[in-house]
Amino acid sequence: MDSTRHVPVLDGIDPEITERLVTRRAAIARGAAVSSTVMAGLAMASVPVALAALSTEAFGQGATLPSDIKTVLDFALALEIFEAEFYSAVLGVSAVTAQNSAFATVRAGVTGAALATLQQIQKHELAHVAFLKAAGATSTLTAADFDFTGGRGSGTGPFAPATTDVAFLLTVAQGAEDTGVRAYKGQAGNLIGNNDATHNAVLEAALRIHSVEARHASRIRRIRRLAAGAGATVRLSGTIRGGAAAAAGATGTPNAAMVSVFDKIYGGTTPESTTTHVVFNGTAEASINAATLANIVGGADAATEAFDEPLTRAEVVEIVQPFFIPTIS
Amino acid sequence: MSEGSRGLIVERTDDLWRSGTRRSFLKLLGLGGTIVLAPTLFAACDDNDGITDPGSNAQAKLDLSTDVGIFNYAYALEQLEAAFYGAVVGAGNFATLFPDPNERELLTDIRNHEVIHREFLRAALGTAAIPDLQLDSTTVAALIADRATILKNAQTFEDLGVAAYNGAGKQLKDGRNLLVAGKIVSVEARHAAAIRDARDSTGRSFAGDDVVSSTGLDVKMEPAAVLASVTALNLVTTTIGVTAQQSDAATADQPAPAAS
Repeated sequence: MDSTRHVPVLDGIDPEITERLVTRRAAIARGAAVSSTVMAGLAMASVPVALAALSTEAFGQGATLPSDIKTVLDFALALEIFEAEFYSAVLGVSAVTAQNSAFATVRAGVTGAALATLQQIQKHELAHVAFLKAAGATSTLTAADFDFTGGRGSGTGPFAPATTDVAFLLTVAQGAEDTGVRAYKGQAGNLIGNNDATHNAVLEAALRIHSVEARHASRIRRIRRLAAGAGATVRLSGTIRGGAAAAAGATGTPNAAMVSVFDKIYGGTTPESTTTHVVFNGTAEASINAATLANIVGGADAATEAFDEPLTRAEVVEIVQPFFIPTIS
Repeated sequence: MSEGSRGLIVERTDDLWRSGTRRSFLKLLGLGGTIVLAPTLFAACDDNDGITDPGSNAQAKLDLSTDVGIFNYAYALEQLEAAFYGAVVGAGNFATLFPDPNERELLTDIRNHEVIHREFLRAALGTAAIPDLQLDSTTVAALIADRATILKNAQTFEDLGVAAYNGAGKQLKDGRNLLVAGKIVSVEARHAAAIRDARDSTGRSFAGDDVVSSTGLDVKMEPAAVLASVTALNLVTTTIGVTAQQSDAATADQPAPAAS
């Protein structure tokens, strides 16, 4: 896919229809004659029109997002660019030769189904970048702005083994995907707004990207467990057991700096090992501990696996900053 | 429902919820075609028109205009998933159908998680919870007949769950409830990816082009489409009715395909 081409935000409807829906609605707003049945139908079709407000293809460049939404989407875009550039470098298709060269050794060891997986993931991350930009998110980040060894530009950071060792590369990919899932989850609440059509459309899109990242994370765990020596704590259901660094299920002997990063990826104020979750029934809040419910099976392990947990924006920034040369926030 | 190149006749409320009808409907709107809503359609319409049953007569009532109702909707789906995997893992021939311990681990993990989801939502809903859904035992037996059938149906259930949560999330008013739904949906997506990978290990099916769009977005379905898919399984004998629709506007579905 051409990553520079803006992709319409509207999804699930034939492209030619989206343009006509917007045009037709505009014509009716100007007083064009229309039958009552068509009006009823347009009421059904109102949300695609709301989504069109986000699409630069419908309204031209410079579609203006509410600032609270832009804040979230700009952050998401930075993370998606990071992921897209990471996988592009691993696959040897980055726009920056040095990034491709860095991963030349490990790339030779990524073959077959694992290679197909990384290609599918990279395709999605590029699509996410394009989608977010089409929705109005902006970023100045380029492929040259990343140090995937985690060394802030030195190229000799603690994650350098990812450039030579497949098992380690997969652990890093897992960490990146799990961080993405946790980051989106932490931001979803910021997209509620007034439950208006624009916030709802963006929130829905964010949830749909979030679940794709979870699919990625799951498949990476399975590769690691089936083909890269990971132990049984790395579940074949693709879920996360426990919290803190142990939840990474890293193989070999990760150095202290790596352990520190894994601690952050799987820890935080709401670590992955959390089993108590809060609900609100409109009147009262309730805290329910999934691990102590009656009639459950699998014990505390299953209770930690059954729910993924959020990271705050600050926690995500602390995790990923070493991989970004510019300062992010 | 019948469709010509420039005309569409919609005869029943159910027709409006089928994605094929909806696609024709929207296409004709955009192209200036003729849509006729048959008189029988208006006779059937009222504000509380249920999806699978008149809402007020249903045994399991879903008020989708509240967070509680949306949690009940999720609870219904988790009940079905827990029952399905419970039947699979609890079957006397489980180890015979699944001699590969990796597949047994996969299905047992998922069973454990779905039971936890179900019990969590049961506890969260308290007295507002819908009843336990009763299932058709013949249908259950057919759904778990053999390894290939089980994995196929597991994929259908998991993709449907992802689509349901992704469609319903925007309707949740309270951030605490949205967070809980978010905590669950990513696990369902992990399940879906894992089952797909177990069925097709060539490396892309976990997030295949049949569920992830060209813009990188996962499936989503509105409750009507999800409940229609559930109805089509002929699995649930308890009547499920929507007593109030979701309060915010629906969006276009990107349906989860039934697995083949």
